[in-house]
Amino acid sequence: MLTESARMSSAVEAKFRIDTPNSKRHKVKVIALDTQSEPVVDDLAQRHWNGATFFTAADIASDPARLREAIGASDLVVMVATAGGHPHDAELIGETCSHMRVTTTGLIMCDEETSDEILSETLGRLRPWMLMLVVSSSRDYIEDMLLALRA
Amino acid sequence: MLRKEQNDLLTLTGPATPMGQLFRCYWLPVLLAEELPEPECPPVRVKILSERLLAWRDTEGHYALTDEFCAHRGVSLWFGRNEERGLRCPYHGWKYDHTGQCIEVPSEPAASGFCEKIKLASYPLVERGGVLWAYLGPSELQPPLPEWEFATVPSDRRFVSKRLQESNWLQALEGAIDSSHVSFLHRGELDRDPLFKGSKGNQYNLDDARPVFEVVESPGGLYIGARRNAEDGNYYWRVTQWVMPCFTMIPPRADHPVHGHFFIPIDDGQCWTWSFDYKVTRPFASQELESMRAGRGIHVQCAPGTFRPLANKDNDYLMDRTAQRRGETFSGVDGFGMQDTSVQESMGPIVDRTKENLVSTDNGIIMARHRLLRSVKAVVEKDATPPGVDPVHQRCRSASVVLPPNQPFKDAAKSALIVQDNREHVTV
Repeated sequence: MLTESARMSSAVEAKFRIDTPNSKRHKVKVIALDTQSEPVVDDLAQRHWNGATFFTAADIASDPARLREAIGASDLVVMVATAGGHPHDAELIGETCSHMRVTTTGLIMCDEETSDEILSETLGRLRPWMLMLVVSSSRDYIEDMLLALRA
Repeated sequence: MLRKEQNDLLTLTGPATPMGQLFRCYWLPVLLAEELPEPECPPVRVKILSERLLAWRDTEGHYALTDEFCAHRGVSLWFGRNEERGLRCPYHGWKYDHTGQCIEVPSEPAASGFCEKIKLASYPLVERGGVLWAYLGPSELQPPLPEWEFATVPSDRRFVSKRLQESNWLQALEGAIDSSHVSFLHRGELDRDPLFKGSKGNQYNLDDARPVFEVVESPGGLYIGARRNAEDGNYYWRVTQWVMPCFTMIPPRADHPVHGHFFIPIDDGQCWTWSFDYKVTRPFASQELESMRAGRGIHVQCAPGTFRPLANKDNDYLMDRTAQRRGETFSGVDGFGMQDTSVQESMGPIVDRTKENLVSTDNGIIMARHRLLRSVKAVVEKDATPPGVDPVHQRCRSASVVLPPNQPFKDAAKSALIVQDNREHVTV
């Protein structure tokens, strides 16, 4: 006789898994930290998302109340930067996320021309404020990541 | 989450599937060399990438990996007689050489040349590092032989095992690049397992259950850095290597042997989990070797004469709720290997990734899928050579290191992440 583990892990039993949604809408804020990443975030903002909203740091960092309001209603804040860019507002946004206990992910875009020194500098600027840092040479990665996170 | 078509694309590896085409760009481990120990030894059935094959050695010791079934009436050649320079079907005596070429059809006149028209599909099979590697792709694209470091060290510094895993290969791979589960699933093992205990890094692991991650593309795949707090404001980094499509190397602990895995699809619902340990500059101590043979560390104990774990889904993985309550194991299942396998098999043969809820710390998994999907597209549409085929990508290492807070692991540990001849891994 089969054990429960054997029976329940079969392909046949997989058909009986409950098919109702198992999560509520994920509220994700995506913030472009520098001028080079703004067009990328703008472009993403034109597409259809579950609950993701898009900002530029220039828009919200200068208005503390708006920044807190945006971050306070988030499950995740994704900050997008470009290697060699100037993510001046990373600290302010990161600190606000930290105070409000909101998870942060930093995404640094680079290309084959990006030197280790430049990438290291940008990593260093973001590292203190991110619970996850991703370096990618693929522009498509941001969209794939947001889709994977049900943003 | 993935869309259903993406999940299918990544998980199905049979002939004529896109992911199958990607896998067929690489040399893949298929057997331990000890499974074909000598010329004319018994043949071994091999199923890999959903293809039924037979591995055998002829009189001169040539390795053969051919279609399992006789071209005449479809009899399994596992029943064949391994005799003078060929394998003979027991049914009507058709005989094949190690390339799959039919060399005798007893019912036909030799002068007719009939047997020259019969040839079984066959693939190159080579021995390297105690492992038999097969290449299932087009012969004109056959890559250089594998150069994984574990396969290049003397045999007394290396231990390799394999076990059957009853789930799709991607579930197994994703477990290996997900460092955040170690502080939970394997919590009980870190200070108990003879191949892990005693490392200072273990304490960092246990003291900080919420590591911070950095995922960085590498030439062959990904570096996945897990950062935990160490003394004086420094960070303890554990850097896992993933090399496409299915190789991972776990960061080392103290002077213990370094280990890693390959996850090789058998078919779409099963894979071989290959596990290796090695040291570069010293032979294993007898206790280390005994522990590996006893299924400690990342290895498991298999039923005698098989590669199926003793603890498996047919016995509920020997679940011990009492040990769980006592805190000896976190999940109730004993040992790193079976802890991983039990949870991954419980997801079903192919997990439905449309239902999952990934979080930020899953970016290693998300990025691996992203790179695999891009590479599949490039292979299928442009005949590109995917990452991980180049032996340079294979000469990589994992590392564990304590660094000041302002130093990226990728730069500070640069030399630690590639093979350094006659030097051990950088470890804490």
